[in-house]
Amino acid sequence: MLHNNHKIALLLLIFLLLPLLSGCWDSKEIDKRANILAIGIDEAKTKEQKHEDEIAHFKNKLPISNEKMIKLTAQIAVPGRIPLGPEQGGGGPTNPVLVIPVVGHTIDDALVNLQQEVSNPLFLGHLRIIVLNEKVARKGTQQINDFLRRNPQIRRTANLVVSKEHASSYMKVNPKLERIPSLYLADMIDNLSGLGKFPPSFIGLFWTHLSSKGQDAYLPYLSIKGKDNIQLNGLALFKGERMAGKTSPLEIGDFMSVIGIYKGGYGAFSMVPGTDTVVMIGTKTRRSRIKVYLKKGKPHVLIRVRYECEIDEKQSQKVYIANSGMVKKIEKEFSGSVEESIKSFIKKTQSKESDIFGFGEYFRAKLPKYWKGRVRTKENWEKIFKNDLTFNVKVDTHLNRVGMKAK
Amino acid sequence: MEDTKEVSTLQATSILISTIIGVGVLPLPLFAVQSGDTGAPIVTLSGIVLAAIGLFILTFLGVRHPQNTIVTYNENIIGKWIGKLCSFIVIIFFFILTGLAAREFGEVVVAAVLRETPLEVTVIVMLTLACLSARNNINTFTYIHNFYVPVILAPGLIIVALSLKNGNILYLQPLLGSNLQDMFTGMLTISALFQGSFVMTMIIPYMKEPKKAMKASFWGIFVSGGLYLLIVIATVSVFGPEEIKQILWPTLELARTTAVPGNILQRLDVIFLAVWVTAVFTTIFSSYYFTINSIKEVFSLKDHKMLSYFILPIVFILAMIPQNLIQMYEIIQFIGKIGLIITIFYPGLLLLIDIWLSWRRKKSVTQQS
Repeated sequence: MLHNNHKIALLLLIFLLLPLLSGCWDSKEIDKRANILAIGIDEAKTKEQKHEDEIAHFKNKLPISNEKMIKLTAQIAVPGRIPLGPEQGGGGPTNPVLVIPVVGHTIDDALVNLQQEVSNPLFLGHLRIIVLNEKVARKGTQQINDFLRRNPQIRRTANLVVSKEHASSYMKVNPKLERIPSLYLADMIDNLSGLGKFPPSFIGLFWTHLSSKGQDAYLPYLSIKGKDNIQLNGLALFKGERMAGKTSPLEIGDFMSVIGIYKGGYGAFSMVPGTDTVVMIGTKTRRSRIKVYLKKGKPHVLIRVRYECEIDEKQSQKVYIANSGMVKKIEKEFSGSVEESIKSFIKKTQSKESDIFGFGEYFRAKLPKYWKGRVRTKENWEKIFKNDLTFNVKVDTHLNRVGMKAK
Repeated sequence: MEDTKEVSTLQATSILISTIIGVGVLPLPLFAVQSGDTGAPIVTLSGIVLAAIGLFILTFLGVRHPQNTIVTYNENIIGKWIGKLCSFIVIIFFFILTGLAAREFGEVVVAAVLRETPLEVTVIVMLTLACLSARNNINTFTYIHNFYVPVILAPGLIIVALSLKNGNILYLQPLLGSNLQDMFTGMLTISALFQGSFVMTMIIPYMKEPKKAMKASFWGIFVSGGLYLLIVIATVSVFGPEEIKQILWPTLELARTTAVPGNILQRLDVIFLAVWVTAVFTTIFSSYYFTINSIKEVFSLKDHKMLSYFILPIVFILAMIPQNLIQMYEIIQFIGKIGLIITIFYPGLLLLIDIWLSWRRKKSVTQQS
């Protein structure tokens, strides 16, 4: 009998606990959420600054001045309009996303203001891409990073990009290749990395570089071409948390050579020695080796790059690539021109005090005595990178194939 | 003693592994990096070695007294009343340890996964689970641990393996990142994460071959310590020491960043958290069981089942004492260091006295003959 009572008590306890196990407090139906897919951040114009109502704070009671206000444009998925499979014919031109602009003093302030305009709870778990306008990036990213780091919904694999035009216009572009604009944008960055056009880039990596003492961060720099096309226009160089400059698209190739991203994606024209003809040489793979020394107490870097290449195109029919001597000459010519290009690129980053290659990390890791005695902080390293660092580049090109055409 | 089957050496090993691996994996790389910078792996390794020394001392003591656990055989060594006092301290320490582990679990769940669920609910569900399971005898205890060990180990190893390809070896250099004093503090903090291994003293009396307890201890600390070391290496090489200092739970962040190739899973934190809940459960379960089992033995009670319910409110209240997350980690690190006195220094002292006593006894025997 006693045993039975005991069993009943246990059963009751289990039933009592059962509802707790499901964690119902957090259960939210997916269509009752406002899934934010992309965010664009701009500076707020004077006119727009007045749009903010007293939601997260009272007017003029915040130590952040109105000049630092941001305009946040969010792209929210409309439930039921996100196509799941391949697109079926018919159906009206329904827009799968809703674009809402809000202003605020900080990113969270803006999101609080946004929530005031949207009935469903905002959800950031599907945020794929954050577009920062160049002006915002140049002012500093620290405040944005702080919010994104704290929020558990944000994925570390989301993309962060810098835009030439207003970030809000990226929220509105309507690429034809994909129904959902933000997914197209995010996939574009990932796919270009896969093609060897861009070094791996996602927000977690950006933060890692930002924190590292001997390295500065980089981000993709985008611009809009025509009406609905987006172009990868270069690298945004950072000095600390602020953007310091940008590169040309071809310099991305130089950058990837230095850090040794294996998959090659860029091609470059090279003169055939002794003629006025150019050939297009496409890189297939790259390897690099970086060695650091101290030369008379000053840091020195030796970069060796090794290319495996292929001739993609020849401009004129007058010149034949007929023997291996010729190939050797082209290799040499190409190596020389790439060397020059890499050197001028490193000089450019030096002038911006932006060590995106992470040479400083090599010094920190390999020469700890020098680092602890002379450098210690990121700011010091940026100065040394600009003023003291010398470097040497050696490029080794191997032209292995010429395509399917003889001669 | 009730009719129980005996615990094999392998089972003892798995009890140790699943007890040690617990809530501490999440902040582990942060602790290591805070005191060791790029030397985090070395700090971790030294912490593991210190913990191993403590465990070996405890096991050695246990092998010398294969019939009892530390809360009873200490009375033979240092006398009845001092012995009882020390046992009380051990029990109180494990009370606090159980409560803090449950609280840390709750904090992670509320901060990272179930944002709206009240903290009290997650803590009480976890404690009730441990409370109900702790009513079973030592065999069920063993089986539960044995059953969960592969589930705890495999995903951890998978995450480490998948994330290492994103690693940067520069972040692990130079090997000695900071000064010796900081590294020493770090060693203590890390070694405090292994305090669960103290349950070994409770298992030895039930073992089939208590003489092989040393083997179980070695493999237990080798496997769990190895996993901890791998996690530190992977996390530091992926994020770099400076970035880790910005993250509260770097291991969770590592799981969030790591993707299974081929876009099958874009982030692994879901799997990781599910496993981690299991790992936390086995840890809390062990310390809970150890607490009530020790109370039972100190008071020479027949059964521990009823005690299980009685201590639940106390543990819950202990878990609720820290006012916020930052205070909680301050308390955890403080209690952890005090715990080292209890889990390493105290058994060490007992062992020395014990050896001295038996040496004196032997001497008096030879003098008589």
